[in-house]
Amino acid sequence: MSEYAIETNGLTKIFRSGWSKRELRAVDEISIRVPKGSTYGLLGPNGAGKTTFVKMLLSCTHATSGTARVFGRDSREPDARRTIGYLPENHRFPTYMTGWGMLDFYGALSGLDASTRRKRIPEMLALVGLDERAHHLRLGKYSKGMLQRVGLAQALIHRPQLLILDEPSDGVDPVGRKHIREVLQNLEQQGVTIFLNSHLLAEVELFCREVAIIQRGKVALAGTVQELTQGSGYKVGSPAVPERLQTELRAGARAAQSVDGTVQFLYATREEANRAVDLLRANQCEIESLARTRSTLEEVFMKTVEEHAA
Amino acid sequence: MIATYALIVDTFREAFARRIFWGFFGCCTALLLFLIFILGIDVVEGSLATISIFGNTLPTTNVENLVPQTQSVIAMVLYFAGMALAVFASAGLVSAMFEQGRIELLLSKPVSRLHLLLGRYVGNLLVVSANILYLVIGSWIVFGVKTNIWGTGFPLSSLFTIFIFAVLLAVIVLVGVLWDSGAVAIMVTFAIMIVTPILAQKATLERLLSSEWSRDVVRVLYYVLPKTADVSVIIRHLILNQPVESWMPVWSTALFGAAVLGFGIWKFQRRSF
Repeated sequence: MSEYAIETNGLTKIFRSGWSKRELRAVDEISIRVPKGSTYGLLGPNGAGKTTFVKMLLSCTHATSGTARVFGRDSREPDARRTIGYLPENHRFPTYMTGWGMLDFYGALSGLDASTRRKRIPEMLALVGLDERAHHLRLGKYSKGMLQRVGLAQALIHRPQLLILDEPSDGVDPVGRKHIREVLQNLEQQGVTIFLNSHLLAEVELFCREVAIIQRGKVALAGTVQELTQGSGYKVGSPAVPERLQTELRAGARAAQSVDGTVQFLYATREEANRAVDLLRANQCEIESLARTRSTLEEVFMKTVEEHAA
Repeated sequence: MIATYALIVDTFREAFARRIFWGFFGCCTALLLFLIFILGIDVVEGSLATISIFGNTLPTTNVENLVPQTQSVIAMVLYFAGMALAVFASAGLVSAMFEQGRIELLLSKPVSRLHLLLGRYVGNLLVVSANILYLVIGSWIVFGVKTNIWGTGFPLSSLFTIFIFAVLLAVIVLVGVLWDSGAVAIMVTFAIMIVTPILAQKATLERLLSSEWSRDVVRVLYYVLPKTADVSVIIRHLILNQPVESWMPVWSTALFGAAVLGFGIWKFQRRSF
């Protein structure tokens, strides 16, 4: 068995439209490896090819070229999908079903027998925070947040080893988001691989260990969240820096700012930061803080997207 | 097996959530209640009967002719009007499966595409078959109890009605796979239901057409398309206990249905959603 939950090799999808057969490369030779048990985020602006990529993993969309494997098996084989739980974006669950009926139906399609389904359905509904009133309520009466929760429950009912979630907290209130995050963290601890496709960068940063940023169908940047958000500078903070010394320190700094009475100097290299610390100590100034700078995932994302757009 | 059963049960649930199937069921029930309570048949002197509707007695008639004639009228109403209603109801049922946000979830399950499509096809066929059998077997029992005439032609005719629906459902499935549209599926299927009885008058059309190529077109269309009108004649013959001249309309229609369903499955397998 493969050590990767997802492994794609040159995965490409070309759509041809109209009489002219104009080509659109929605996904262009994407090769990624998602280790088993990891939490992986797929980011990208609208139309970057994220959803097409996910649909190829699930064999909803046929690849023009390249391969996609799930736990070492070709994702086109129906049996390979037995290990996958999926919550689509813009899902349209049948409104004539009740919450219970929906889990019963998708559980049966996942191969669970009737007695297992009867046992697991109340467990799953409770896990995603849907109370008993919701069990026999038609989905047409559900709120957007409730639909997301029941959607997550259907993705989990067969205890998948890989969870692919497309905008899982879309339409869910902050309390619900926290609850969904806790459910996912719990699954992560159990060794479930979670593949998250989300526009909420803060959510991805909080939850995922690795991310890939897709732009125009290609992987523009990939790595661990820690690596990608690691800044290249150093921040030195000191309270009550004399005016004369401030001018001297500013001269070598990339930037300086005053925050709550503490002056923070930003240096590009470790040597410059050390020199600033020496200077401050020589002038009997206290060091309030000394840290490597970090970018937010949003800053990394914006920078990557802008660079590739240019 | 679990998945197949789930797909069929789901189709039943969705069908009953759509009021049109309840309308179909209601019409069948109304006709059965009419036969049970309003239509009075008293058999007198063996083969003669007096018939009363709403208590008004009609002239005495031969019961052995009356029952098959009435049954053939019911079968024809069911064959044409019931079929139109069933097509109308089923078109939405098939295309609903291809809605974005729903099909992706179905395809993400460990079930083959062939299985998914056939599950919906068989489920839909069973829903309509249940309604057809309900009316035909129900009215056959009512006639049998009232007249003690238990001819097998009438119940047998329901199998041919179901068969023609199965062929038209294959067309609905193909159109659904190609264009995701219930409305287009209804238009195409109704066009077949309207054109094929005209083509059934092949001999007359050939006399009326002046050029040989146009006669060839009529011949090709006649042999390729399902023969709904010709099968209705076979049904009438079966009910009236008359010999069937040719079974060609049945097997050629079956070939058309198998080819269309096969093409629909092939397109569904290749399609990206």
